Amino acid sequence: MSEPFRPADTLAGVVGPVETTPATGPGDFEVSLESLNQWQLAWRRFKRHRLALIGTVVLGIVILIAIFAPILWPYDAIKIPGAKHDGGDPPSFQPLSQLFGTDFGGRSVLQQVLVGARISVAVGVFTMLIATTIGTVVGAISGYFGGRIEGILMRLVDLLLAIPFLFVVLVAARFFGGGDPVALIAIFGLLSWPGLARLVRAMFLSLREAEFVLAAKAVGVGDLRIAFRHILPNALGPIVVSATLTMASAIVLEAFVSYLNFGIRATDVSWGNALSNSQGYLLTGNWWWPFFPGMTLAITVIAVNFMGDGLYDALDPRSKV
Amino acid sequence: MSKFIVRRLLGLIPLLFAVVVVSFLLMKLAPGGPEAQFNQNPRVTPEQIEAWLHRWCLSGQTDPVSFVKEFGGWFGVYNCDTESLFTPTGGLNILPAALGGGTNGILHGDFGFSIATGRPVLTLITERLPATILLTTLALVIWVTLAVILGVIAAVKRYSLFDQSVTFFSYVFYSLPTFWLGLMLIFIFAVQLRWLPAQGIVTPRQWPPFNTDLYWAAFGKNPGGALVDIGRHLVLPVTVLVLVSIAADSRFVRASMLDVLGQDYVRTAKAKGLQRRRVIMKHAFRNAMLPVVTNVALEIPFLFSGAIVTETIFSWQGMGLLFIDGVGARDYFLLMGILLITSTIIVIFNLVADVLYAVVDPRIRYD
Repeated sequence: MSEPFRPADTLAGVVGPVETTPATGPGDFEVSLESLNQWQLAWRRFKRHRLALIGTVVLGIVILIAIFAPILWPYDAIKIPGAKHDGGDPPSFQPLSQLFGTDFGGRSVLQQVLVGARISVAVGVFTMLIATTIGTVVGAISGYFGGRIEGILMRLVDLLLAIPFLFVVLVAARFFGGGDPVALIAIFGLLSWPGLARLVRAMFLSLREAEFVLAAKAVGVGDLRIAFRHILPNALGPIVVSATLTMASAIVLEAFVSYLNFGIRATDVSWGNALSNSQGYLLTGNWWWPFFPGMTLAITVIAVNFMGDGLYDALDPRSKV
Repeated sequence: MSKFIVRRLLGLIPLLFAVVVVSFLLMKLAPGGPEAQFNQNPRVTPEQIEAWLHRWCLSGQTDPVSFVKEFGGWFGVYNCDTESLFTPTGGLNILPAALGGGTNGILHGDFGFSIATGRPVLTLITERLPATILLTTLALVIWVTLAVILGVIAAVKRYSLFDQSVTFFSYVFYSLPTFWLGLMLIFIFAVQLRWLPAQGIVTPRQWPPFNTDLYWAAFGKNPGGALVDIGRHLVLPVTVLVLVSIAADSRFVRASMLDVLGQDYVRTAKAKGLQRRRVIMKHAFRNAMLPVVTNVALEIPFLFSGAIVTETIFSWQGMGLLFIDGVGARDYFLLMGILLITSTIIVIFNLVADVLYAVVDPRIRYD
């Protein structure tokens, strides 16, 4: 190996040097070597997980819907047209805006699904970003440096894990949320990181004794650079998986908190809000109102979870190509 | 081992104290504070609010000193009548009442009165607990049993059609939002088919409310009918709980079983020519269950804290619904009481799981 061992550039810290795979072209007897870096290897593994691919595509579509909802739904969202039938109209193709039926006020359920994707997806994505960042940094610092910092941070983790998560989320959303999606994101994000912090800390504890860390120290690399450039990429798989799980659970959590009316304002549209008023009408046989927002929610969450499963296999450097 | 337990128990004290502080902070930081409930009531005079606050050792002030005093009063260290650490009779307030201590604060079992109902928090909790334990225990037993069966079969027949369908449906049910699944089951089985009741623990107007004296009297007269009635109400919530919880556990059992099946001693047992069934059940299964036992111990706090989501959907009058109602009514004392009790149970069972881990698996030693 002519190059110095640089695990930070790739995920190679665990598997070692870049692997090579012989590729044989048709009718070509000359042996050519195809070199793949760890990302290409991960992509190969990910591609084979069909459910994960489908999940990624579905999630991509949902995110596109969330971004382009105002273009997809050019109608006035505030105007309440009034339902033809008492309690809402069943789904129909004429007009297309009533594909998913309407609620008791005649508002299209399709609109609630499309526009509601904005808040639901935003809550999922930003909660994931906040929680993953905090969890990774806290775990990395306490695992790498140890000592008093670790003691304090891990006691905080113990405390947060000792209190039932859903209880605190509900109380915080009710008392400090004020119907604001940004406040909800902050609450979810600030409470969802302890599990990941513990996981990252455990990985750092074992990886900091690895030889490549010793090598990096020997050539004079700084502590923070070792922690985040050299060790962190090796812990990427579990972090990414935890991120997808956090995203899925944040989307469900927003829906549940809003369903209980402790979440976002009643005038805003999210999947949870769309479900929130529907329970009473369910008993009258108005199935489409809760069905479609809930179904979209369920499909999104399943897609995210399948994607996470695929990423777990793909980012595990020990799994075969 | 006993050293380990003692050390962990000592470690629990600061943790539980931190939980107490956090739940108190949550109440103090909430906008308006607990006295905000009287804002809209013209009949309540400022003097009455003062007296009410004093009863709970609350001063209505925001400076740090009165904050510490308030906390001390709620915790049971500080006596608000004498405004010191001592009771009027001269004993230390922190001591049990029998030893001349005070009676206020959670240390003396005084969790306060629910603001919304005016009844003692502990009474409310103990009233609701049976309903929750009935629901959660039944669900836990069913889902753990099913998870073990499914997980073991999936591991033994790895990559078979059965294994793959268990994996697929595990993911699907794990991902389904619990409350939406509940709504859909209500719609299908209660609204459309009318096979099962949609909500509640007992049929109203046929049976008195669950866990009241009247109910137990009626139960004594017609136990069979009462059990059938509760059983019918249990079907849907238990189904929801089992469906969404089975996934994680069956994956866990499968992984544990696969781990054991790959061990050398299992190969030896096979090589000796033992029956396949005997190898799986006697040699592999018993060892694969070791981590499962600890995992189930970690799920036990759930039996008490209740299934918030499921109880809400099915109006199951248990701890979870009590908590939701408390959040809705901003019932601080109730919320603090529930938070404290469930956190204590969680912390204790985490320790139990750790100890159990060493007890069932002799390879693990704590020192």
